[in-house]
Amino acid sequence: MTTITKMEGKPAQSGRMLAAIVTFLLIFIVLMAIGLMNAPTMGGPKVMASAATYLAEVQRTALPFMGAVAILAIVLGLVYARAVYRVWPNHRRRQNMIMGYLFLSPYLLITLTFTVGVILFAFYISFTNYDIFTSPQWTGLSNYAKAFRGFSDPTQKDFIQSLYNVFWYSFIVVTVQTSLAILLAVLLNTPMKAKQFFRTIFYAPSVTSSVVITLIFMWLYLKTGFINFFLAKFFAVLGMHWQNINWLNDPRGLIQLIVTPFGVHIPSAQWYLKGPSITWMAVMFQNIFTTVPTFMLMFLAALQDVNPALYEAAAIDGANGWQQFRKITLPLLRPIILLVVVLGTIGTFQTFDQVYLATKGGPLGTSLTPAYIIFREALGYQGPIQMGYAAAMAFILAVLIFIFSYIQRRYISNETQLY
Amino acid sequence: MKSLSKVFALICVAMLLLAACGPAATEAPATQPPAQEPTMAATEAPATEAPATEAPATEAPAASGGCPLQVEDGATITFSGWGDETEQKIYRDSIDRFTALCSGVTVDYQPIPDKFQDKLKAQMAGGTAPDVFYVDDQLMNAFAPSGQLLALDDYMSQAGVSRDDFIPALLTIFTQDGKTYGLPKDWGTLGLVYLPEAFQAAGVDEPTDDWTWDDMRTAAKTIADAGTYGGFCMGADWARFAPFVFSNGGSFASEDNKTATLDTPEVKEMGTLVGDMYTEKSLVKPDDVGASWCGEAIGKKLVAMTTEGGWMVNFMKQTYPDVEWKAVQIPNGPKTRADIVFTNAIGVNAATKYPNAAAALALYITGEENQGDIVKTGFAYSTHPDQADLVQDPNDKAISSGGLLPDTKVAFWGPNTGKVNQAVSDALSRVFLGDQTVDEALAQAQTEAQAALSGQ
Repeated sequence: MTTITKMEGKPAQSGRMLAAIVTFLLIFIVLMAIGLMNAPTMGGPKVMASAATYLAEVQRTALPFMGAVAILAIVLGLVYARAVYRVWPNHRRRQNMIMGYLFLSPYLLITLTFTVGVILFAFYISFTNYDIFTSPQWTGLSNYAKAFRGFSDPTQKDFIQSLYNVFWYSFIVVTVQTSLAILLAVLLNTPMKAKQFFRTIFYAPSVTSSVVITLIFMWLYLKTGFINFFLAKFFAVLGMHWQNINWLNDPRGLIQLIVTPFGVHIPSAQWYLKGPSITWMAVMFQNIFTTVPTFMLMFLAALQDVNPALYEAAAIDGANGWQQFRKITLPLLRPIILLVVVLGTIGTFQTFDQVYLATKGGPLGTSLTPAYIIFREALGYQGPIQMGYAAAMAFILAVLIFIFSYIQRRYISNETQLY
Repeated sequence: MKSLSKVFALICVAMLLLAACGPAATEAPATQPPAQEPTMAATEAPATEAPATEAPATEAPAASGGCPLQVEDGATITFSGWGDETEQKIYRDSIDRFTALCSGVTVDYQPIPDKFQDKLKAQMAGGTAPDVFYVDDQLMNAFAPSGQLLALDDYMSQAGVSRDDFIPALLTIFTQDGKTYGLPKDWGTLGLVYLPEAFQAAGVDEPTDDWTWDDMRTAAKTIADAGTYGGFCMGADWARFAPFVFSNGGSFASEDNKTATLDTPEVKEMGTLVGDMYTEKSLVKPDDVGASWCGEAIGKKLVAMTTEGGWMVNFMKQTYPDVEWKAVQIPNGPKTRADIVFTNAIGVNAATKYPNAAAALALYITGEENQGDIVKTGFAYSTHPDQADLVQDPNDKAISSGGLLPDTKVAFWGPNTGKVNQAVSDALSRVFLGDQTVDEALAQAQTEAQAALSGQ
């Protein structure tokens, strides 16, 4: 690449330089403007009254942040200026580059302002004490330490408990939804009548808003709701009595339910031994119901790519249906399984709407999730607004998701290489 | 044909986008009973009484002698609050009366029925908050410490309004460093609500105003043992537990909101009462009997008694019009008779352009004259003690009388009120679950509440 540009580098030397400088300035100005819009200052009517008051406030509190953005802008500006400098003499590539970025620019600007800029803001805020209305106070890593103090101080267990909940959630939901999705996809892939009809029916839960589904499930889960009604009828047929359960307000844990008949009592102080609560498993069930169809569709698409000749050959060799599934279908689906597992993990770690609508984190914190706690602290539902603490927890969650996705990628995709 | 399908596709995309951007209707009324949000529930004015609210409006100017304050001429102020259609109507009427009095002021009423607190915090941070708005304990804690609310004391003295004009307990929340940042606009409290037919069926005398908690327990036990009805209904809810504690001279926290007092004998004694009642099955949780809150359990004739507030009047009228129910004052405790009050206020944005007009609106809405008109609609109680007699419905009157008792308190414990109250609710949950004894549960709640009060 460099050799080509060097060969063509003779004409329009000054034009190149000018273009590079313009690029640098443009990038610098745009990034600084975006930084300015996302500067971590206090809010409130006095600051937001006019552009001048806002700038004065930025000058007062956000200079370190603007400095960091400026360094970033200079580095990016230099990188792009260099690229432009190299490409400029080649007419076709110059044209391509300009057109490419021109078409990208609307989306790029919006993303930079409302996503990247906000993330930078949040990252800065996570090291400060910030309640929106007063200037952020630099507190170093104390917000991150605060998130984990539940290990030593049982009164501050909320975030730890939410992580504990979400690990169970992720483990159970991802396992069940992936298996179910494969099963449904394989079933729908076999020659059968009214295939389109079943595909539509199975997919319906995924196109329904999760808010609507949550509201419907809240009715189903009532103590006098349909689920208890059907279970009672079912057990009555077997001659047994079904004790109605208030599905969305029962903190008894899975492990607790298993060991209680053996006379083992798990005290409340050891909440982490109790396992996921009935409420939490009810939310899991509902989540599985909503997400399985989406992933089923992915598996179905992947199954279309499997060469039917493989099954024929296997059948001739005497492999039965199960063996074909084990030795052909599953290995060939591996890349999609990776995708589904990773997407499922990310989705479950970020669970929010079901909790917000149905349980509000209760009972006894057994349905708290990190995303819900972040929301609660950021908006000050139970105490003062703690934007900095919320931002710190958001970054901890992001790091956890990254680690888990990375591990899964290592484990599942390594074996994918074989096929 | 091809272009037609393209247009169609475009329309589809546009519709999807619009649908995605539209506000989602997330509130299911039945899942949000007053039990969870003990604010003053909107109660609908009976159609026949509606004209009565209009009548005093025309007489008002002559009687009161004008606007509470000297207002800026040509002032335009915005006013926001939550509330359904009924509440909005009542406030529109109040605003009409106000603008008739204070000429030259235009009030732009912008109700925010859903997620009011979230929206107002965002508006305040962005500098677009209304001039006058409802303030609850959450907004008070978010706005007052950083000076976003206007201190109203000067305006009050100009208008000749004193803090003593209001029911004393109500101002607790809205006072900081001796200054008043909000004027109570209405309030609610709890009374002993009961189902007379349950008492007749079990042959027990109906509750009276001088019942004690022990009388209540005895009656609940007899009725529950008879088997047709549950005894006393109470969820694991701090607000329902508070009257027990207050009437035994206890509290959730010390006067200065620095020390948690959940492990004191006063609280433990009442916790034991509640725990024992649950064990002997004279106390049931609403979900034990198949209701989402205790008021509904009364409506469905599942329980004999519960503690509920003035919202029961219209709830029963609308949902269970055929069920006969009654209410008496909250029962007497071992030490005193005390109730809990819930309240919200009207506050003024410190950055308002027209502080006089905005303060005048807040003063007018919470003033005796307007409060008197609101009481007559049956929507809310007046925040002025001398207007207590204006409550019309006899049951409502019995319930509201608890709010005026000298030892009645608000459950407000400073900036971390929500966490302290949550600790109490969780302790009750653990007791009802049989997970912990009352002493263990309250000991845990004590450490949690103490951590919250110390600002952790």
